[in-house]
Amino acid sequence: MSMRGLTVFIADLRKCRIHELEEKRINKEMANIRAQFKRYQKKKYVCKLLYMYILGWDIDFGHAEAVSLISSDKFSEKQMGYLAITLLLTENSELIRLVINSLRKDLDSQNELFNCLALHAIANTGGREMAETLAREVQKLLISPMSKGFVKKKAALCLLRLFRKHSDVLPAVEWAERILPIMDDPDVGVVTSAASLITALAQQYPQQYAMCVPKAIRKLQWLVMESNFPSDYIYYKVPAPWLQVKLLRLLQYYPIPDDEALRQRILDILHCIIQNSREIPRNVQHANALHAILFETINLVIHFGCEPDLLAQAAALLGRFIASKETNVRYLGLETMAHLAGALDNPEPIRRHQELILASLRDRDVSVRRRGLDLLYSMCDVSNSRAIVRELLRYLPMADFALREEMVLKIAILTEKFATEYQWYVDTIIKLLSTAGDQVGEEIWHRLIQIVLGNEGLQEYAARVVLSGLRAPHCPENALKVGAYVLGEFGHLIANEPGCSPMDQFKSLHARFSTAPLATKVMLLTTYLKFVNLFPEIKEPCLRVFERYRYALDVELQQRACEYYHIVNRDTDELLQTVCEEMPPYPARESSLVSRLQRQYLDTEDKRTWVVGGKEANLELKSQDAHSAQAHALAAGTAITNATLAAAAQASAPGPARTAEVNLLNLDEDLSHLNPGEGGSVTGPDGAPEPVRGAGHVKLLTAGQGVLYEDDTIQLGVKSEYHGYQGRLVIYTGNQTGDVLTSFAITVHGVPHVKATTVQAAPTLIQPFAQAPYLVNLECHGAFDVPPHIHVTFGKGGTSGSTAAPVSLHIQLPVSIAKFIEPFSMAATDFFQRWRQLSVNKRESQAVFSAREPFQPEPVRALLRSTGLALLTDADPNPNNFVGVGILVTTSEKVGCLLRLEPSKEHQMYRITVRTTNENFSEILRHHVEDMVNQIEG
Amino acid sequence: MIRFILVQNRQGKTRVAKWYVPYTDDEKTRLKGEVHRLVATRDQRHQSNFVEFQNHKVVYRRYAGLFFCFCVDANDNELAYLEGIHFFVEVLDAFFGNVCELDLVFNFYKVYAIIDEVFLAGEIQETSKAVVMTRLDHLDKLE
Repeated sequence: MSMRGLTVFIADLRKCRIHELEEKRINKEMANIRAQFKRYQKKKYVCKLLYMYILGWDIDFGHAEAVSLISSDKFSEKQMGYLAITLLLTENSELIRLVINSLRKDLDSQNELFNCLALHAIANTGGREMAETLAREVQKLLISPMSKGFVKKKAALCLLRLFRKHSDVLPAVEWAERILPIMDDPDVGVVTSAASLITALAQQYPQQYAMCVPKAIRKLQWLVMESNFPSDYIYYKVPAPWLQVKLLRLLQYYPIPDDEALRQRILDILHCIIQNSREIPRNVQHANALHAILFETINLVIHFGCEPDLLAQAAALLGRFIASKETNVRYLGLETMAHLAGALDNPEPIRRHQELILASLRDRDVSVRRRGLDLLYSMCDVSNSRAIVRELLRYLPMADFALREEMVLKIAILTEKFATEYQWYVDTIIKLLSTAGDQVGEEIWHRLIQIVLGNEGLQEYAARVVLSGLRAPHCPENALKVGAYVLGEFGHLIANEPGCSPMDQFKSLHARFSTAPLATKVMLLTTYLKFVNLFPEIKEPCLRVFERYRYALDVELQQRACEYYHIVNRDTDELLQTVCEEMPPYPARESSLVSRLQRQYLDTEDKRTWVVGGKEANLELKSQDAHSAQAHALAAGTAITNATLAAAAQASAPGPARTAEVNLLNLDEDLSHLNPGEGGSVTGPDGAPEPVRGAGHVKLLTAGQGVLYEDDTIQLGVKSEYHGYQGRLVIYTGNQTGDVLTSFAITVHGVPHVKATTVQAAPTLIQPFAQAPYLVNLECHGAFDVPPHIHVTFGKGGTSGSTAAPVSLHIQLPVSIAKFIEPFSMAATDFFQRWRQLSVNKRESQAVFSAREPFQPEPVRALLRSTGLALLTDADPNPNNFVGVGILVTTSEKVGCLLRLEPSKEHQMYRITVRTTNENFSEILRHHVEDMVNQIEG
Repeated sequence: MIRFILVQNRQGKTRVAKWYVPYTDDEKTRLKGEVHRLVATRDQRHQSNFVEFQNHKVVYRRYAGLFFCFCVDANDNELAYLEGIHFFVEVLDAFFGNVCELDLVFNFYKVYAIIDEVFLAGEIQETSKAVVMTRLDHLDKLE
């Protein structure tokens, strides 16, 4: 059928010079199409609608016609129908459901052209529902010996899309045996697509897909060292550069092979690639293809990290690249050198180029400047930090806006990390605050305050520096805030020095008051209140300020002024002193600056094999990977045999070899031993007594704070807070006796899948009737049913000299899997649809139990809410039933949890059903909620 | 992974847009404008073909008046995608016979079919020009 009408229509629209004319033409065409949407013109009309859509016009009809085109027998009509749904609909559209049957039919068709069209559509729009209903058909097309090359490569990428979006619904582990052989396919196109798929699978299931390593090496050998390569796939004299890059990347998800022959083979290949690129050709395409492979090779060499000879060659090449005239090559050289900086023990090969790298901060291209900054950030250490930070600070005022915020962040991190003297740290950050001005994020001055509060030796100096900063002609807002805070806390330390009298301090701050933004004004008022407490001699001017702002229009300002005014005007200073007590130091915590930077790096589809930020950051990345690989290995545990898992555990376990006959349960524990970095300590078979539940345990499972344990000697109170996979517990120990508790200690013991770390240790002595805090951080790595516990030990009667036997208590922490659930609300109508989708594959856990107390809706509702689930009203046809939805967050995944609780009043029974997206969680969560319901008191 | 492909002229009119991540229509409009402003202002001679964009990066190349932009992950191999662009342009050129901007406008539905033969699900699918051309010629003749 001719598309002449379409050409005319497009030409007409192109002639419309103004919007109104275009609108007129569009409306005319829409009316025309509406009137004549007949069968024989359908394809053309749908195509016209698509063109209008692409121009940005709303299309509110034609979807049904597009869907009907899909079931046509003509290729071009079907193609247009599928194009329409991929353009007009997204994976979340309701209409997508209408085409699932057509898709299935086309996947089953004998016509490979139809197979391909359906695969395109799934690869472009595939959402959860398609993953659940069609993944098997797609996989069949991929592995069937009848499928042609075209079908196979499309099926491979189609599965890749479904796996990336919804890995939980594909039985990827089961498929390993069938998918891996595709890497041996003679068709290079098929292998290219399969390599992308297997790269994604291998990141999540490294053990199960480990066979891809020898296959990838064999393929690379063929590409790099042999000459019988099909000419169709030679791109500017380079054999399949894209496939080479993919295979070299795939190998970066594995360590260098243990097998001697294999190891030698890959090293030969790497040598060969480096040799081949000695001469860089003039043709741009040829040179780019070679460089693409070369840089990936260098990345692999750095990743293997064990071949000094190759590493030296790589370092030398990179040194040449960063001096290249080609901007692209300079960019890539700097980027890859940052990878090298995170892997080298001896920084010399990089440090040699420090001048050149610093000069890259002045490159003409902002992209190169950014890579230069990343490299400097990665290569910085104690010995060169001063030089690097100085240069960065010098360049900062000239840096483009886009780069400045990142620079500020990196300077702040480096300064903190490598400061050997406090003074240098304070000087640098203050300079940073005044140079960068408003590009400084709040975190940076917050961090400065935290550090000043935590280091007594620093406080006096900091006060002096901020005061002189306030007197500079220009003082950005953040510097003013720091000034206000630091002088309010530590101004008295310098009050006796000339020019720093209380009045001088007050004047320096107040000179900037009238022009300061509101948030800063508010802070300044607080500082003045602290001044009244510290320096009674300047009470008068401070009081005048409060009095004046009692009538400010802004509520916050007004309220503070009023309150401060009254506090100061009271008869006694008691309240003022209590309010202005010195700030306690912040608990040592991870800098939020670093995590902010990391978030930005980790937004990639294929996992990063390295990160900007030097050795430390890369070690951390590796340990995180080990964690998640472990979690996946366990999650896949049902599908693979015990023997392979045991062998895997044995292979990587340090210390004496373990027997092969471990069952899965023991293995859980074994795996947790594999990671010595995990937690403060892991429960070991040390013969310690079973930890007990404190009297307040059950209550605390639903409440945020309360008393956990109490006896004649001590009381343990708990306050907890959870966010995502993290939890923080403060345990307050109260001494109930008139004696000092001596050699007091608390240690926390994690369990498999819950990492517990001490943040702040308890003091060793607790005075009579005094209280002491102890802080623990928790991290949830997977399903657990036994909570972590603490071990408390102490002796009594230190003062009287009569020493009784030391006390030792093992007490479970009130932590359950439900604490890591976050509520998730969905439309009532969606609930049962999701519910049905989770009915397969043992994802359900159900039980019927009888209640101790007669059924009352309110306590049950309160209880379910306290588990973190969002309760949906109107979702269940029976109003007595409860349904709840939540997302359980662990370090490696998010698990959707659906719960349904059906009470029966007459029989005093309940039926509870839990369905989750990861079967490991269903039963544990069901048990927990069942327990809790049973604990409800009438 | 490729997040999206944009082909835009120097005035910022988008001739081809292919999305591999489900953006809303508003986001798409915004992204088109941002990418154009980012790329068109760059110096073609002295600057690289890569530029950071949000948490990702844009790999781009200019052919006559058209910018071919691929937004890819920060850890993807830049040059492999840069040559991916060139390969795609060579395919367009062979298919339309000396391709120009108007070919892409009048045959937009064919361009989508060509993209689906070269890239799929945000990854490169076929890297042999001969294989792609034989396939496209075959499909073009079908009713």
